[in-house]
Amino acid sequence: MKSGLEGLRIGSVVATSIWRLVKANPAVWAIIALVAIFSALVPDKFLSTGNLVAILKNFAVTSMLAVGPTFVILLGSIDVSYMGIWMFGGALVWLLYPYLGLASIMIYPIFGLLVGLFNGVIHVKAKVPSFILTIAVTAVFAFLTTYVRNVSGVLTLTVPAYNFLRESPIPYIPSPFLLALPVIVLALFIMFFTKLGTYFCAIGSNEEGAKLAGINVEKYKILAFTLSGLLTGLGSIAIFVHLGCQTRVDFDPSELVRGLAAIVLGGTPLAGGMGGPHRTLLGALVYVLIFNGLFLLPGVDPNHLKLYVGTLLLGAVVAASRALKGALIA
Amino acid sequence: MNASDPIIEVRNVSKTFDRVVRALDNVSIMVRRNEIVSVVGENGAGKSTLMKILVGVYQPDSGEMYHMGRRVPFPKDPLDALSRGISIVYQERGVIPHLKVYQFLFLGLEEKFTRLGRLQLGKIIGLAKSVFEELGLKCDLASSMYELPLSTQKMVEIARAILSVRLVVGMDGGSEITPVIILDEPTAPLSLEERDELFNYLLNLKKSNSFIFVSHIIPEVMKFSDRIYVLRDGKVVAHHDLSSEKITEDQIFREIVGRESYYDLWARYVYGVGAVEGRRIVLSVQNLTKKGYFENISFDLHEGECIGLFGPAGCGKSEIAKALYGEIAADTGKILVDGKEVKLKSEPYARVKLGIGYFSGETGKELFLFWPIRKNVSIVNFEKVTKKPLKIISVISFNAERLLADKIMKKLKIRAPSVETECYSLSGGNKQKVSVGKWLEKSPKILILEDPTIGIDVGAREEIYEVLLEMKKNGIAMVLVSDDPKEYAILCDKVISIRSGVIGAVYTNEEFRRLMEL
Amino acid sequence: MAQAWFSREWLQRNINTIIPAMGFIALVIALRMANPYFLTSWDSVITLVYGMSWFLIAACGLTLVILMGSFDFSVPSVLKLSAMIFAVLYPSIGFSSIIVAIMVGLLFGFINGILLARFNIPSFMATLATSMVAEGLAQVISGGYTRMITDPAFRAISTTMILGLPSIFYWAIAIWAICVFLTFMTPFGRMVYAVGSNIVGARLAGINVRMVRTLVFMICSLLASIAGILYASQIQGAHMQVGVLDMIPLFASVVVGGTALTGGVGGVHRTLLGVLIIRWLDSGLSMLAIDLNVRMIIFGAIAITMAILTIDRRRIRIMK
Repeated sequence: MKSGLEGLRIGSVVATSIWRLVKANPAVWAIIALVAIFSALVPDKFLSTGNLVAILKNFAVTSMLAVGPTFVILLGSIDVSYMGIWMFGGALVWLLYPYLGLASIMIYPIFGLLVGLFNGVIHVKAKVPSFILTIAVTAVFAFLTTYVRNVSGVLTLTVPAYNFLRESPIPYIPSPFLLALPVIVLALFIMFFTKLGTYFCAIGSNEEGAKLAGINVEKYKILAFTLSGLLTGLGSIAIFVHLGCQTRVDFDPSELVRGLAAIVLGGTPLAGGMGGPHRTLLGALVYVLIFNGLFLLPGVDPNHLKLYVGTLLLGAVVAASRALKGALIA
Repeated sequence: MNASDPIIEVRNVSKTFDRVVRALDNVSIMVRRNEIVSVVGENGAGKSTLMKILVGVYQPDSGEMYHMGRRVPFPKDPLDALSRGISIVYQERGVIPHLKVYQFLFLGLEEKFTRLGRLQLGKIIGLAKSVFEELGLKCDLASSMYELPLSTQKMVEIARAILSVRLVVGMDGGSEITPVIILDEPTAPLSLEERDELFNYLLNLKKSNSFIFVSHIIPEVMKFSDRIYVLRDGKVVAHHDLSSEKITEDQIFREIVGRESYYDLWARYVYGVGAVEGRRIVLSVQNLTKKGYFENISFDLHEGECIGLFGPAGCGKSEIAKALYGEIAADTGKILVDGKEVKLKSEPYARVKLGIGYFSGETGKELFLFWPIRKNVSIVNFEKVTKKPLKIISVISFNAERLLADKIMKKLKIRAPSVETECYSLSGGNKQKVSVGKWLEKSPKILILEDPTIGIDVGAREEIYEVLLEMKKNGIAMVLVSDDPKEYAILCDKVISIRSGVIGAVYTNEEFRRLMEL
Repeated sequence: MAQAWFSREWLQRNINTIIPAMGFIALVIALRMANPYFLTSWDSVITLVYGMSWFLIAACGLTLVILMGSFDFSVPSVLKLSAMIFAVLYPSIGFSSIIVAIMVGLLFGFINGILLARFNIPSFMATLATSMVAEGLAQVISGGYTRMITDPAFRAISTTMILGLPSIFYWAIAIWAICVFLTFMTPFGRMVYAVGSNIVGARLAGINVRMVRTLVFMICSLLASIAGILYASQIQGAHMQVGVLDMIPLFASVVVGGTALTGGVGGVHRTLLGVLIIRWLDSGLSMLAIDLNVRMIIFGAIAITMAILTIDRRRIRIMK
C-alpha cells in the first residue's frame, strides 16, 4: 500500500517535471507532432534505421550551426558569421594540412575564436549593427573560400587524412553526432552552470539595468561573440566530417537560414533576454524533422528547397513575433 | 559608538555642472543607525545629484564625508560605496525582467559562489532562501522577475541592495557596518496598496538597516520617515525630526515649493474661469477604463478650457493622457471629439487628424534633435508649407517653411542663430519652445500636456506658460498632467483629482489654489 | 560663424560627403592610370551606363529603406524573380507580363512592410525570409534554367538609343530624380526621414508610422521589379545567377554614397555617387582580371568600413 502511494508520488513528480518542460518549451509539442505525423504518413520510410541515423546526422549539423550564435541572440544582437567560420575555417584546414598534419583541425576553433573576437570588438567599440557586420564577415569569408578553391585548381577542398573520424565507434550513432556532443555539453554548461548565461540574459533583457547592477556590459558582449565563434569553430569539425572531410566552397543562403531558423523555431526570441542553447537544440530537431519528413513525402521536389526553407523561416518568425510586441523595431 | 551617532554623514557638499549650474550648494545630511531619512524636493532640486555623490557616480566639488565618525574620502565608484555599506535602488530600469529571482538577487555578485568556473547553484539558492526568510519576503525563487507584482519586484531589489552590501563588506566580520540603502522614488510605479505593502516591509527591515528615502510624495514621506530633509534649488532649506516636532503636510509642501510670484502671470491671462457652460464641448470622455491603470474616467472638456488631472505620481493620470492621445490604448469606454467617437485602439496620427495634439516636456522623445528648427516646426504643419501643383502631389516649399519657423522663433523668442540651427545645440528651454511652437502653429482643437515644463529654468517656464495661455485664449482646449501644483494653478480652469486610477474630487481653480495654499 | 570652417566638428558633420567625393576622384585617377583607354571611347561609356542603370534603380529603393532605419535583403531576389516572371511569361502574354512582374514585386514589398509594421519582426530577418521565398519561386517558375528571349521588341525597352545613350539610362535617371524629389520635396519624404531619425517622435507627431513603413517597402520592391524587368530586357532574358551576390555591391553603393545604416542621415541623391563609384570600381577591377570573389570581398570591406564611418553615434544609446 505504502509503496503504491510512493510510486504514485514519484509518478506525479515525473509527470509535473515533464509538463514543466513542455510548457516552457513549445518546441517539444512540435517535435511530438512531427514525429506522429510522419510516422503515420510514411511509417516504413520515416522510421527506418537509415532515416533515423540521417536525422541524427542532420541534427548534429544544424545544431552546430545554431548553438554558438544563440548566446549572441540572448544579448538581443545577432551573429550570422557561422557560415564564414565554417567555410573558410575548412579552407584554412585544407591549406595548412601539409604543414601541420593532423593538428591542423585545431585551426577551426582558433579561427572561430578570432573571428568571434573580431565581431565582438567591432560591434561593441565601433557600434556597427551586429547583423550587417556579421553577414559581411560571412560573405567575405565565403568568397575567400571560393577564391581559394578557384586559384588552387581543385574541385573540392577535401582532406582525406581525416577520414578515420568518419568511423563511429558506436553502431547506429553517426560520428558527426558524437563530435557534436561535447560542444552541446559545453554550451549547456556555460548557459546553466556559469554566470555567463545569466549575464547574457540580463544584458538582453535590460541592458541599462545590467549596467546598473555593476556588470561590465561591453566586456560580456565581446565575450558572447567570442564564445559564439569558438563554439561554431568547434562545431564546424562535426560538419566538416559529416560532409566527407571537406568544406563547402559555394555560398548557399539556405544554409545561412538553417541556423537562424533553428534558433527561432526553438523559441529564443530575437529580442533577446530569454531562451538559450537548450531551446536551440529542440529547434534544430524540429527543423531537421520537418525537412527530413517533407522530402520523404511523395511529390515534394528537393529542388524547391529554398522555397520551403524561406516559407518555414517566414512562418517561424511570424509565430515568434508575439514575443516582440510593444517595441518599435528597426 | 552610540546608537544616535551618524553612520554616514556628509558636510557642506557642493557640486556644479558645466561651471554654471549649481546643483548642490553646501548641503549637509546624515543618517543614523536604523532609521528612515527622507530627502524631499521638486524635480531638479538636487536630490538625485546628492544621491549619485553618495554612491560614487559623481564626485563633489567640495565637502567632507564621515563614515562611523571617521573622516573618509568620497566614494570613487559604486563598489567603493558598497564597501562603506551604501547601496542604491534606482527609480526605474533596475529590474531585469527575464531573470529568475535568485539570478537577479545575485547578479554581479557571483564571484563568491564560483568554484573552478562552476556556479554553486545550491549554495546560491540556499542563501537566497535564508535571506528571503530573514527579510520576510515571500515569493517563488524560480519565477521570472516580470511575473512578480511591481511591489515584490521593488522588495527583491531592496533585498539585492542589502545583500550586495553584506557580501562586499563581509557578512560576519563587519557587523559594525549597518547597510544604508538609498531608495530613489521607489513608489513611483506602485498602486496605493502596493505602497503600503512596501512600507511595511521597510519598517520591518529598519531593525537592521538604514534607509535614505528620496521622494516628492509628501504623505508617504510623513508617514514613514524619522527625519526629513527638504531640498530646494540645491540647498537644504529645512530639516525636521518627526519624533520631536509636530509638522503638517502643507508646511512641508510649502517648503518644497517655495514662494514665488506666479499670480501675476495667472492674473494677466485669466479669463472667464468657470463660465464654460455656454461653450461647445470639444472632448467628452466617458467611462474610460484601462485595467490596472485607471477606471471609469469621465469628463467634458469645453472649448478654451483647461482641465488638470491631478494626483500623486503613479495614480494613472499620465496613462489617461496617453490613452487620450493614442500612445497607449484604453480597454473600454468612449472618447468623443466634437461628438464623433474615436476608436480606442487608433494610433496618434488618427487623433491628430481629429484635432488632438500632444506636447510633453521630454524633448528628447518628441523633437528630432538632429533636424533644424525649420523641419521640426513643419513636421505637424505640412498643409501650411506645401503647394499642390497637381491634385495628388504636394510639394514642400522651403521658403514657406523658413518663414513659418521664423515667425515662431520671433513669437516665442527662441534664442538660436537661425531657423537652420539643429535642435540638439539649443538649451532645454529653447528646445521646449520649438516643441510647443509647432503645436501653436498647428492650433489643434485639443492639446494634451504632459509635464510641459519639466527640467527647464523658471524664466523659460514662464514663457512656455504664456504661450499655452495664449493658445487657451484662442479657444484651444487642454488637458494637463504634471507633478507641479503651481502649473495647475496657472493653467487650469478645473482640476480633477485622480486617486489610484479613479476620479476623486473636482475643484475649480480657486478651490484648488486655496487647497494648495498657493 | 566665427568658428574655423575646417575643424574636427566640420569634418565629423561632413564626413558622409567628403569620403565618397574623395573616393570618387581617387578612383577615376586610379582607373585612368591602370587603363589608358578608360572612358576614351563612347562605347566604353555606354557599357558603363548599361552596368549602372538597372543597378541604380534597385539601389534607390534600398536607400529609401535604409533611410527609414530598416533593411531589405530581398531586393536582389525580387529583382531576379521579376526578371524571371517577365521572361517566362513574355512568349505567351507579351508585355502584359510586365504588369504581372510588377504586381508580384509590389506584393513582396507589401509582405515585407506588413511583417515589420504589423508583426514587429526585425526587417532584416523578415526580408531574409521573403528573399528565400522569392529565390525559391524564381527557381520553381524557371525550373532553374536561363530563359533567353530573342524578340527585338523585348530588347527595345532598355536598349533603344536616344541621343546616343540607351533608353535604360533615361529610365534610371528619371526614377532617381523622382526618388530625390520624393524624399526632399514632399511630406512623404520628410516622414521617411522622420521615421528614420526618431521613430517615437514621428509617431507622436501624428505620422502614420505603419503606413510609411509599408509604403517604403513597397516602393523598394517596386523599384527592384522595374530594375529586374529592364535588366532582363537589357540582357535578353533572365538567369538564376543574379541575386544573392548582388546584395553586397548594392549595399556597398548605398553606404558608400553616405547614407548611414542608423537611418535618417543621407539620401537618394547620394546613392548616384555611390553607384558610380562601385560600378566603376567593379568594371575597373574586372578589367584588371580580378576574380569575382575577390571583387566581392573588396566591396564587402568597403561597405563595412563606410558603414562604420557614417554611423551617427550621437543618436545611438544601445546598439543591437
